[in-house]
Amino acid sequence: MSILLDERARVVILGITGRFGSFSARDLPRSGTRLVAGVSPTRAGEAIGDVPVFATAHEAVREREANAALVYVPAPIGLDAVLDAIDAGCRLLVYPADGVPVADALEMRSAARAKGAVLVGPNSPGLISPGKAKLGFMPSDCYRPGPIGLISKSGSLSYEAAWRLSQKGLGQTTALGIGGDPVKGVTAAEALALFDGDPETRAIVYLGEIGGNDEYAVAQYAKTPGAKPVAALIVGRTAPAGRKMGHASALIAAASDTWEAKVAALEAAGVRVARSVEALAAAAEGALAHSR
Amino acid sequence: MLLTEAEGKVLFADAGIPVPPARCLSRQEDLSALDFAYPLALKAQIRGGGRGKAGGVLRCDNAAEAFAAFAAIMGSRFAGEAPLCVLVEPWLTIARELYLAVAVEGGSGGYVVLYSPQGGVDVERGPSPLCYPVGLPRDFRAEALRRVLKEAEPDPGLRERLIALAHRLLRLAEARECLTVEINPLALLGDGTLLAADAKLVRDDNSAHRHADLAAALERALAAEPESVRRSAEIGLNLVWLGGEIGLMSTGAGMTMAAMDAIDAAGGRPASFFDVSGNLTPAALGYAFCVLDDHPEVRAILVSIFGGGTHVDRVARNLIDILRAREAAKPVVLRLHGTGREEASRLLGAAGLRNHESLEAAVAEAVARARA
Repeated sequence: MSILLDERARVVILGITGRFGSFSARDLPRSGTRLVAGVSPTRAGEAIGDVPVFATAHEAVREREANAALVYVPAPIGLDAVLDAIDAGCRLLVYPADGVPVADALEMRSAARAKGAVLVGPNSPGLISPGKAKLGFMPSDCYRPGPIGLISKSGSLSYEAAWRLSQKGLGQTTALGIGGDPVKGVTAAEALALFDGDPETRAIVYLGEIGGNDEYAVAQYAKTPGAKPVAALIVGRTAPAGRKMGHASALIAAASDTWEAKVAALEAAGVRVARSVEALAAAAEGALAHSR
Repeated sequence: MLLTEAEGKVLFADAGIPVPPARCLSRQEDLSALDFAYPLALKAQIRGGGRGKAGGVLRCDNAAEAFAAFAAIMGSRFAGEAPLCVLVEPWLTIARELYLAVAVEGGSGGYVVLYSPQGGVDVERGPSPLCYPVGLPRDFRAEALRRVLKEAEPDPGLRERLIALAHRLLRLAEARECLTVEINPLALLGDGTLLAADAKLVRDDNSAHRHADLAAALERALAAEPESVRRSAEIGLNLVWLGGEIGLMSTGAGMTMAAMDAIDAAGGRPASFFDVSGNLTPAALGYAFCVLDDHPEVRAILVSIFGGGTHVDRVARNLIDILRAREAAKPVVLRLHGTGREEASRLLGAAGLRNHESLEAAVAEAVARARA
């Protein structure tokens, strides 16, 4: 199995005619994903290849039974697009944009939960269930089907990590980018609960960083009796305090934000913490060896 | 963006949150024109925390002490930061210091109200504050907060004033898009009045497009940064200088931090967190090379790009052109991976450049070249 996304997904891309949208329109079908529709308010009635373009998400859902949305709309106007896709009936949404106001992210998260939908992001490359489907823009050839549930705050780091895991034969059930913003559609705790409930996921790999509280949720999970084994990599050991490292929440403001505090909490909870990207595959192998 | 106490208290007053009378002074001679009675509190205005413990708040019982305190504060740095000005207020006689805050908490999907009956400079070392998870600001319910406060504050009058104050903080956080609005200490005076003795507000930079005051404040903060940082921000690159000798150019916050850590582990020191993923056009990449070439401490440049939406073969083409036209002699080490990597390696190879297979190999090479 996989979490959230499999071959049954019928995908609509909002903003399909933009730079990222047209890339994904070509890229998603190559990973086996069923791309059924696009949305563009200004180019409705056209087609991108054989994918029809509609004016609204509602039409895409009604005409093509789309149920999963990849929303390429810039941050300042993203809230309306995400709410539209939720209202239209999409049950899984990815919102990759960086720079989303926290108030908007809170509204998106709240609206998704009220409708029983799941929002991945903001500030996330999306998710991929290798061999089944992809809802995002990560490089597909870094991923292989397998028993690892991958959770990452960072897009670029997740590609590198997945590539290395795949090279060592450690494929993934699903790789999920939760994003580096303080408010997330799916938090680390929620992602862990999803992987915990997936029988094919035998071990979990978590990629985190300085700042924010998600790493403590990972430690909390790992301490739970019967939890699946967890390996982790935390980046930002050499980041100076008080300076934002790209991601909105990658900032050392308190003692709990530091690499040292997070690694100590994770290790005390039994998480195998890799000290470098290079050491991650071995840590994941160790975790997998302890799965039941 | 973290506001200074003075900036925060202006927003407090505007939102109906009681604050002491205050003047923000940047010249010592302005003290003479003050109409406050002594004793006074003189408070350094900085954007970092930990000011109280670092001697940034001084009590003055007469004019001579006030002039000396002003000079001492403006002549000091607090966590490396020079004070912007000095906030002058009447010295408060506080019966009890409380702590009240609202903050965005990602795990609970909204705001939380935090309260501690013992506030002050050591609040972080005390027991965890009481917490009321509100969710969206419109979901605030007085009764829910009342239940949380009941044990800690048996006096119903004080409790109700705290609830009203918490609601105002939350409305302020919503209206001004703040991630944190904290009063520490919240002063309980002898007559039962509550007064915000300090203010810590963190505004959401991503909301600047709908708040002219925040946009202007961010602009001012950026103007104080070095030219390289300012210009990079203008063209969509994210640069933080780190002080080492290896100029790192990378894509994505996580991968850039991973490369910084790897440089350190290999015995080098990163000179820059330079995330160029926001703009990989030839002009922007060219500028990034100029910045690292011009920086005297940079001895080698490491370009580490793992492309997802980015096609690294296109990046390779741009790099080849830039490196051909470049005059600086600093060594450049490349590692391009992800979408289009095979074509990138072929193109770079044909141009006589090496594309390193792994991050570790590239980092080792960069560290060695920086030492040579």
